[in-house]
Amino acid sequence: MRDVAILGVGMHRFGMWPDLTNGDMSREAGLAALRDAGLSFRDVQAAFVGHIFSHAMAGVRVMKEFGLTGLPIQRVENASATGSAALREACWAVESGRYDVVMVLGFDKMTAMIQQSSGTTDAGNLEDAILPAAFFALWATRRMHERGTKAEHLARIAAKNWNNGALNPMSQRQADALITPEKVLASSMVAWPLTKMMSCPIGDGAACAIVGRPELARKLNPGRPVVKVTASHLGSEKYARGHLFVGPVVGPAQMTIDGAHAVYEEAGVGPKDLDLVQVHDAFAIEELEYYELLGLCPPGEAEAAIERGDFERGGRVAVSTDGGLIARGHPGGPTGLAQIWETTLQLRGEAGPRQLARARTGLCHMMGGGSVCVIHVLQRE
Amino acid sequence: MSRARIPVKPGFFTVPDDPTASPRLLGSRCEACGEHFFPRRRVCARAECLSERLVDVELGPRGTLYSYTFVHFPLFGSSRIEHIGYGVGQIDLPEGPRVQLPLAGRQQEYRVGMMLDAELEPIREDGDLDIVILRFRPLARGA
Repeated sequence: MRDVAILGVGMHRFGMWPDLTNGDMSREAGLAALRDAGLSFRDVQAAFVGHIFSHAMAGVRVMKEFGLTGLPIQRVENASATGSAALREACWAVESGRYDVVMVLGFDKMTAMIQQSSGTTDAGNLEDAILPAAFFALWATRRMHERGTKAEHLARIAAKNWNNGALNPMSQRQADALITPEKVLASSMVAWPLTKMMSCPIGDGAACAIVGRPELARKLNPGRPVVKVTASHLGSEKYARGHLFVGPVVGPAQMTIDGAHAVYEEAGVGPKDLDLVQVHDAFAIEELEYYELLGLCPPGEAEAAIERGDFERGGRVAVSTDGGLIARGHPGGPTGLAQIWETTLQLRGEAGPRQLARARTGLCHMMGGGSVCVIHVLQRE
Repeated sequence: MSRARIPVKPGFFTVPDDPTASPRLLGSRCEACGEHFFPRRRVCARAECLSERLVDVELGPRGTLYSYTFVHFPLFGSSRIEHIGYGVGQIDLPEGPRVQLPLAGRQQEYRVGMMLDAELEPIREDGDLDIVILRFRPLARGA
């Protein structure tokens, strides 16, 4: 991908917002992104909208908040990777030469979805009887068996993300005191060895990115660093013996390995060139595994790297700088675009108290339902 | 006399008439390449094969524990007090497929690599019927 830039980003803070509609949150995120880009909604030529839990056509209806200009609007859905998959479509729409300015909007109200379904939950399927966190806990137990990982390693990842989230005004979880690994370990057990503070919360939110041509970014905001999307990958599972077909699955590790290889080749960078990385850390074990699968450290060395603080802000490569799914939150549709919001601000040097000293190349990774993997590389021009 | 049992969802496992018999998992075998799958499917999933010649087979009931956890919440869909907190395992079947299902017993009993046996577990009643799920139980040592 050679000729695509992030022109603007905006968010509505993730959280529990029972009194706000998807339209309210999306309007705030979208108008913020347009202001950030220096554009009006009249300039937007196409829109890709991502939501998981709302009814059919919710995306088109929410877009009416910005005005009715006749533009093409297309829904994209890929579970947790929905926002990331929508961004990919927008990038291709610009890269192909079809459009100069494309809006990507993600929103969801997970709290409303859970209220709707709680009265009728029925274990109609084998897998529906089991709490989804269990499937990630199974990954952790296996890792402990193979590598001697301790619950303390998972707690250090979660504590890092909680403390990063406290510096992010858009983060759902905003701890008012330093979170220690001990506190993470002492929180209630969800599915051994995963505790509540190692798990992402449910929540509501919206996030938006405006994608367009890099020359437009230079013209609209002279002097501001231009953030380009230099690689985009979306892959699904390849069958291998032991593949899990039933249940909300973690997904084959190979999907992230293959995706990482693809984006490194496309962007012409390697994992050592990355300054910051956002991953699908719905549970702390995921972030640990993705360190290795993305090549941030060699296989089997994640535990030692965690103990050295390699992935903290100020470490070798900062991971989940905005708090990640664990602290910033994971409403669904907007989650992948929150990663783009954070990476864009960091690459511009506009991330405030959590700004990294060096931020030139960032990677954003999301899994969708354990069945798709979406990775983007963003680089400061 | 034991109560009649029906599966929580048809098409995934057998419910033997003999309450002492182990249930089996309903899977498929590819006649072209020999790969086994759970649950049943009609096209081989291997990229190199993709044959449509799949036949129904029964898998298990024994398996090997690949990983486990213990969930500190009630089992969804169960009305039984003893299902507040339950084990979950990934179990490798001898034919090849890996499945994830609830485990009988407590966390201290689970060991990666141990042998397990499939069993049916009632989770609630529907009139005279017991609605059952499939789960695995650690085999007694030496079994």
